[in-house]
Amino acid sequence: MTTRDLQPRTEPYRIVGTSPAHHDFVDKVKGSLLYAADWQLPGMLHGRVVRSPVPSARITGLDVTAARARPGVAAVLTAADVPNNQIVELASGGLAELQVTMPVLAAGRVRYTGEPVAVVAAATQQMADEAAELIAVDYDELPGVFDPESARADGAPRVHDVGNTLVSWQIRSGDVAGALAAADVVVEGEYRTQHVEHAYLEPEAGVGWVENGVLTLRVSTQVIEHAAMIAHILGLSQSKVRVIAAYMGGGFGGKEDMTVEPYLALLAWHTRRPVRMIWDRQESLLASTKRHPFVMRYRTGADQDGTITAQQVEILGDAGAYPNLSPRVLFAAAACACGPYRVPNASITSTAVFTNNVPSSAFRGFGAMQVVLGYESQLDLLAGRLGLSRTELRERNFLAKGDLLPTGERLDTCVEVAQTMHRALGMLGAPPRPSGPGKLTGRGIGCNRHPYGRTIWFRDRASAWLSLQADGTLLIRSGVTDLGAGQAASLCQIAAEVLGAPLDDISIYIGDSALNPPAGGTFATRQLYMSGNAVLHAARELRERIAPVAADLLGVPADDLDWAGGHVRAETGRPGITLAELAAACDRRAVSTAHLSTWRAEAGSFDPRTGQGDTFPDYTYGTHAADVEVDTETGQVTVLRYAACHDVGRAINPMRVQGQIQGGAVQGLGYALTEDMAIEDGYAQAALFADYLIPNAQDFPDVLVDIVESGEGKGPLGARGIGEPPIGNVAATIASAIHDAIGVRPDRLPMTPERILALLDGRHP
Amino acid sequence: MRLLAGARGEAKVLAGGQSLMPMLNLRLAHPDLLIDINPADQREPSLDGNTLRLPALTRHRVLLEHDLVRRGCPLLAEAVRYVGNVRVRNRGTIGGSLAHADPTSEIGCCALASGAQVVARGPAGDGQSDRTVPVSDLFAGYWATTLAESEIITDVLIPAARPGTGWSFHEMVRRTSDFAIVAVAVTVNLAERNGAIAAAHVALAGVADRVVLADPELTAGLMGSTADEDLDAAAARIAERLEPASDVHASGAYRRRLARVLTARALRQARARAAGEST
Amino acid sequence: MTQRQITLIVNDRDHELWVAPSDTLLDVLHDGLGLADVRYGCGEGVCGTCTVLLDGEPVSGCLILAVQAAGRQVTTLRGLMGPGEELHPLQECFLRRGAAQCGFCTPGMMLTALDLVRRSVSQGRGRPSRDEIRYALVGNLCRCTGYTKILDAIEEYADQ
Repeated sequence: MTTRDLQPRTEPYRIVGTSPAHHDFVDKVKGSLLYAADWQLPGMLHGRVVRSPVPSARITGLDVTAARARPGVAAVLTAADVPNNQIVELASGGLAELQVTMPVLAAGRVRYTGEPVAVVAAATQQMADEAAELIAVDYDELPGVFDPESARADGAPRVHDVGNTLVSWQIRSGDVAGALAAADVVVEGEYRTQHVEHAYLEPEAGVGWVENGVLTLRVSTQVIEHAAMIAHILGLSQSKVRVIAAYMGGGFGGKEDMTVEPYLALLAWHTRRPVRMIWDRQESLLASTKRHPFVMRYRTGADQDGTITAQQVEILGDAGAYPNLSPRVLFAAAACACGPYRVPNASITSTAVFTNNVPSSAFRGFGAMQVVLGYESQLDLLAGRLGLSRTELRERNFLAKGDLLPTGERLDTCVEVAQTMHRALGMLGAPPRPSGPGKLTGRGIGCNRHPYGRTIWFRDRASAWLSLQADGTLLIRSGVTDLGAGQAASLCQIAAEVLGAPLDDISIYIGDSALNPPAGGTFATRQLYMSGNAVLHAARELRERIAPVAADLLGVPADDLDWAGGHVRAETGRPGITLAELAAACDRRAVSTAHLSTWRAEAGSFDPRTGQGDTFPDYTYGTHAADVEVDTETGQVTVLRYAACHDVGRAINPMRVQGQIQGGAVQGLGYALTEDMAIEDGYAQAALFADYLIPNAQDFPDVLVDIVESGEGKGPLGARGIGEPPIGNVAATIASAIHDAIGVRPDRLPMTPERILALLDGRHP
Repeated sequence: MRLLAGARGEAKVLAGGQSLMPMLNLRLAHPDLLIDINPADQREPSLDGNTLRLPALTRHRVLLEHDLVRRGCPLLAEAVRYVGNVRVRNRGTIGGSLAHADPTSEIGCCALASGAQVVARGPAGDGQSDRTVPVSDLFAGYWATTLAESEIITDVLIPAARPGTGWSFHEMVRRTSDFAIVAVAVTVNLAERNGAIAAAHVALAGVADRVVLADPELTAGLMGSTADEDLDAAAARIAERLEPASDVHASGAYRRRLARVLTARALRQARARAAGEST
Repeated sequence: MTQRQITLIVNDRDHELWVAPSDTLLDVLHDGLGLADVRYGCGEGVCGTCTVLLDGEPVSGCLILAVQAAGRQVTTLRGLMGPGEELHPLQECFLRRGAAQCGFCTPGMMLTALDLVRRSVSQGRGRPSRDEIRYALVGNLCRCTGYTKILDAIEEYADQ
């Protein structure tokens, strides 16, 4: 077992790399933070969305008279009341995808159970709910299709007239057929994953009102840029719509598409009164977007010594009834389908298919997460066939800086996955013995390569505005939205590091489409990479502009200045000037102390016909390891120990990095073992929060965390994104451990006790 | 009682509220009248000779912590650890739980295995027309009891555990604090002279439309036995008879299988406890 | 439905309110009194975000009618803080340990933890073990942290 030495850090950091608790954490611990539902305005109405109870039907009658007549009801709106009722979301920018529109309120046709049909606003929530029940809708049911394999077949009921296949990405490199034919061993596997629900503790919520002619929404959302779409829906100019993102009580991708926004907008604009909408938890379970279930078929070819020569991968994703972000999710799956391994001959087909199920869209991991089960399972099976250890086989095939990916891209940052693998295993210690008769223990690993930053051909950018105030405090304005992972606080830490302003003297205003420079949404593990860089560069550019003033006052070259503790000094220890004094001096010399900077990510392009080109700016590599115990009589799996190690490039705030890894891993454990948003014939089987089994404080062990700081990420100061990567390894790691314990590989999620028993029995579940 | 009897429209009794209030929140129930009986009874558990008397409004938390319950019915005290969470146990009541008749109820399961009875009070409300109903005659199907609409449970009577009685509670649950997939409660008595089984009661939850007590003829084969294999065989016989329904959490076949495994484990543990062995 | 007037004692202050008999304690605390630290999460009593202490015991605010709480002591997280918004030692531990991310579950977690530690100590069982803390918190769901730092923070507080 070899470990490579980390590059020693050459720049000492004072604030970056420490873990101070910032403003929003103090408010959260005090319970004084105002979330989207914690907002009341005089005369506020309460909204309710009315939803289809059937998965596929024509609407042949819609009568709202009784509802409108109910006392206390201010508005009942249907499709006819929506100025522009069609949302066109071209998630991959029009590249390779079918163009399909989604109505805000169903017009004549419903395509999934829970699809919005009407919307009500009334003086109290109870009145709105009662009015909703008075709306009479006649549904003439149509045949539906509920799984992507059936939906792709000839003669399948059409979810959309233009066809059921939304997009099919192809990546081809080398000669897969030839390589498979010539391989010493070929391993085949089919893996199936399930619908899962984000289950943020804060349900979708917000308040909308009209202020000085501007439609204003204060909502729990990851993307304030939806303001433009909302303006389009209402037929308003973009300057008449303002979206304010409240700090979210969790997002995980479930608040990346619009949720309450269009309904609040319609009701507030129509009534000209404030309207609040909070989705019921059960409504959210039923109708909010979900993670794409995947069917993955892998054929992996290798030489006798374990060198992988070919991967043939077919991914089929259930997009549900409308496109949302499916094209990008399946793209990310395609780009990462081969994992952190060298694969000289690859053929990857990744297809999103419409069904009459609830729409699938973004969820932490975004396609690149589901495929980890596929490629890691194949590696373990290969190791078994060749008589190699799982670690040995992986080390033989790990990518390295400079290697080519199947898309033809060359990796330009270091790949420390081997180190993460050894560290993760190291944390587990000696393998545990079974706790009693009928119990089997096993150890598993799961490595992953997860992208951070948006797909390159989106030409991503983020802006930030910094201002050194007259009193020496620092103001940051950024359109960033905060999911609870310290998005805003990290920006303050970076600014503090560059300008030497104490954290307590930095205020940040975020998430307002009218008042902040746009930063792009918080998704794709992009915020640290994009806004972190934007703030880093804004701070450096500002410093560059005001440094000569300080240099002049202190009589030294600008490069020699030391910025720390609210002061600028000629050298450490010598008295200098305060930032307030510097601001005053700048003002006297007409040197501006405010600066707007836009950071642009590298650009690129992708050719969907050849499947070659640029995909993502960079990747985060990591490994998880786990010990499990299987009860062979009940099939229950107990996770005894769990360890996770990722190369995060640079930990801006180590405690938050740890928190992301622990939280992502536990979310992954739910995905692996207990969570299933089962849908049968278009109807959700788990309608209550009590039935949707997210992990609690008792059932899983503490996640042991170690990080590698290679310093070679493309984020600020060499950081790599860490929001999404840790959820990806888990299912594969647990499947690997169960495989080790019982000798059979689970290939279907979640790995329920019943399914484990079936494997033990030799039946295939 | 008068309010309940005289109600126009649908009336519901509100005790702990942990089952009823979610239904109101989800708009699944729309009672015209809600009668809050929480202030109606402040009594504590008491021992009446050999009978543990638990007022219907006894909170689950009290069942967990009260000395009389821990000594008088340790089976119940153990099973309550699996009921809900801290908040549910602070409000939920034993009477409410039995009246709700959830087919996966841990409390129902233990009440059956312990030979418990409930006191049901009718509209006269004066205690004169109280009737004592064995819990084995109480459950009538999915969330249904044999109580009349105007009857309320006032007390739960449990024969206090005699020395030499063994007990065991086993539950399989997908996530701690959730509704049981399958739960088994067992009480076992050993004959003094040779430590062989003299009586055995097995109650199961999650296997039918109600909590069920295994037919005595299925445990009859255990009488006089001292061997673990007999226990396993009895468990197999009991499970074979079951026809559990499937739902999103578990199939009927898996529930039947769990019933066999958990019953065997519970019988073994109960017998070991009865014999004074460490478990 | 006819409203009725009740007095709620919340964080040691009396509030006279008009409430509908069907209003839950959660509705009244959050919407009526504007207390943002008591939150709707599920309406089923499963998630714990509406946890309040009723006469010192953790209960689900969404499963109690406001009228049932009349005249009783209701404590929310903000009731734990000192006069100048001084943090309770448990809150300090949460801050130090990074035990909050999105923060939505935090008030419920803390109230439940506080009740556990208080009762454990007052009933002479000493400070609760990590396993006992886990068990006490099963009804407070968190989707962000993976629970470890929350347990660390509560153990640190319990040690104090």
